[in-house]
Amino acid sequence: MSSRETILARLRQNRPQGPALPDIDAVPFITFEDKFDAFRTLVRNLGGDAVQLQPGETVAGIVAQRWPQHGRVADVTAAKPEQVAAPHDWHDVDIAIVPGELAVAESAAVWVSHAGNSQRALYFLTQKLVLVVPKDAIVDTMRDAYARVSIREHGFGGFISGSSRTADIEQSLVMGAHGAMAALVIFV
Amino acid sequence: MKNDNIKHAAAAAAFLQDREQARWHDSAIWWVRQKRDAQAKQLPEWEQLRALAQQIKAHTLSRLDEYLEQFQRNAEANGVTVHWAADAAEHNRIVHGILAAAGVKKLVKSKSMLTEECGLNPYLEQRGIAVIDTDLGERIVQLRHEPPSHIVMPAIHLKKEHISELFHKELGTEAGNNDPTYLTHAARANLREHFLSAGAGLTGVNFAIAETGGVVVCTNEGNADLGTALPAIHIASMGLEKIVPRLEHLGVFTRLLARSAIGSPITTYTSHFQQARPGGQMHIVIVDNGRSDILGSDDFYQSLRCIRCGACMNTCPVYRRSTGHSYSYIIPGPIGSTLGPSRDIKKHGSMAFACTTCGSCSNVCPVKINLHEQLILQRKRAFDAGTLKAAKKMGLLAMRFLTRHPSLMDAGGKLMRKVVPIVPQALTQHSAWSRPGRELPQMPAQSFKEMWQARKENKQ
Repeated sequence: MSSRETILARLRQNRPQGPALPDIDAVPFITFEDKFDAFRTLVRNLGGDAVQLQPGETVAGIVAQRWPQHGRVADVTAAKPEQVAAPHDWHDVDIAIVPGELAVAESAAVWVSHAGNSQRALYFLTQKLVLVVPKDAIVDTMRDAYARVSIREHGFGGFISGSSRTADIEQSLVMGAHGAMAALVIFV
Repeated sequence: MKNDNIKHAAAAAAFLQDREQARWHDSAIWWVRQKRDAQAKQLPEWEQLRALAQQIKAHTLSRLDEYLEQFQRNAEANGVTVHWAADAAEHNRIVHGILAAAGVKKLVKSKSMLTEECGLNPYLEQRGIAVIDTDLGERIVQLRHEPPSHIVMPAIHLKKEHISELFHKELGTEAGNNDPTYLTHAARANLREHFLSAGAGLTGVNFAIAETGGVVVCTNEGNADLGTALPAIHIASMGLEKIVPRLEHLGVFTRLLARSAIGSPITTYTSHFQQARPGGQMHIVIVDNGRSDILGSDDFYQSLRCIRCGACMNTCPVYRRSTGHSYSYIIPGPIGSTLGPSRDIKKHGSMAFACTTCGSCSNVCPVKINLHEQLILQRKRAFDAGTLKAAKKMGLLAMRFLTRHPSLMDAGGKLMRKVVPIVPQALTQHSAWSRPGRELPQMPAQSFKEMWQARKENKQ
């Protein structure tokens, strides 16, 4: 018998009693009066920031204003984004501008996913990450978020909340462990 | 790999010799517990959330075989190769086989307690494959050739001076520069080179979703993401209990995991891997290694609900004052003290006694495992397996005899109250009750039973 068959047979034989699956929507979860405000307050504690695009402003304008001196920019929000031969080719990107589908107020997380699964190295290699999220695509909790995301056709999707960080040295919080050192969420 | 001859009490006594370090360890970890409390209090639904998580996991364990089969079908439909490993040796063989077939010389790894459990690093290194742990804390302990002391904060037993010295030697950082930001960014630069040059990336798995065939990995650093987005091969190693039935269930677990683990609302990255990147391969190794036996134990199967947040160790008064290195099993603290003895009671029997039975672990556990109750049951097994020191065993047998003979117990108590106050100090100064903070209490004039009798008579 293969290991698979042996393991499954033992799991079948050793099944404990268990309850039915609960209805996770039956429990009321926290809601926020001003979701953007909750999101912004939290993301500022997590090495990030959030702004709402005002009339007359552009994403490029906000980015240029925030980081006037910058290196290579990769903007994949454009209709025909830049393509690279290998994911390693993003290694020297300073600012990445990427679309975010959905924001979550309780966790300051933004869902990123894209067709073809070809850009994901960019989310993590860039020094500064700019997430562009539609204004009305913000929900209260992770439960609401999971009800709306879909991965099947993309192969990869992730929630990103603020900057890459670590507290592995004496519990001192340091931004920029491996991923982006700064994160800016722009609601458009 | 961990030395499984460690006996908790002796190792903890050695750790406590450095009083200042011990105090720092205790308070640093207690601070994480307080951050967890602050997060829990912000959610009115916290207790209901724990109940939901418990029910989902309990349900899943009752049909684990079905959900694993469903998971495999869906993963394969996504183009992922699924492997099954009955034990640690088979897991290591499978991983090596994948790497050898592709001619991989360097593997970047994100945090995986399972690969620690399996001893994967030395296995691969002996076969000529360089293994680079990429979680900062894991990298620190790897460079020090020691096991992690905590499942979420692997280097919490070290001070920044230790790490500065280590990085000066290994990475060429400035001698005496102890600044955590400087040290972290030096490791960042060094590990970037490894991410960009590795032939494969290995991750653990926080959650595997039966409905989608995908796996979820949570990190704050982004190391799992760089390690899987750059190399063409992604291997995900998972314990078979990591399954949840549906994607929507992550709406419960992602709300609990980081709040319980580190007192953050969520980890920076919650990544869902469902297919390899274009031109790449993705493999999932499903590992049993004793888990299916635990599932069959009425007393201990609930420990398989664990989501490895570490909240039980952060709250544990014994863990905080003894470090993870005092426990013989790779997973320390309350959860390790049931998982280790379940695996091998002869090796890990001492862990069952690293517990005051205060029950705090059970109260913070996000999936409501009855941890302290399991530890008491593990003590019984440790006794039956003959792992206790002769003196402790004799003491327990004497106590059992006394509690079964109440009149003898009364007489013994009376004798003790009379004799102990007049025993010369020279006789007690080397006993366990002569250390600071553990002095023998003043002997009362009467036993509780006598006081109770007197009180009843007074009332009448």
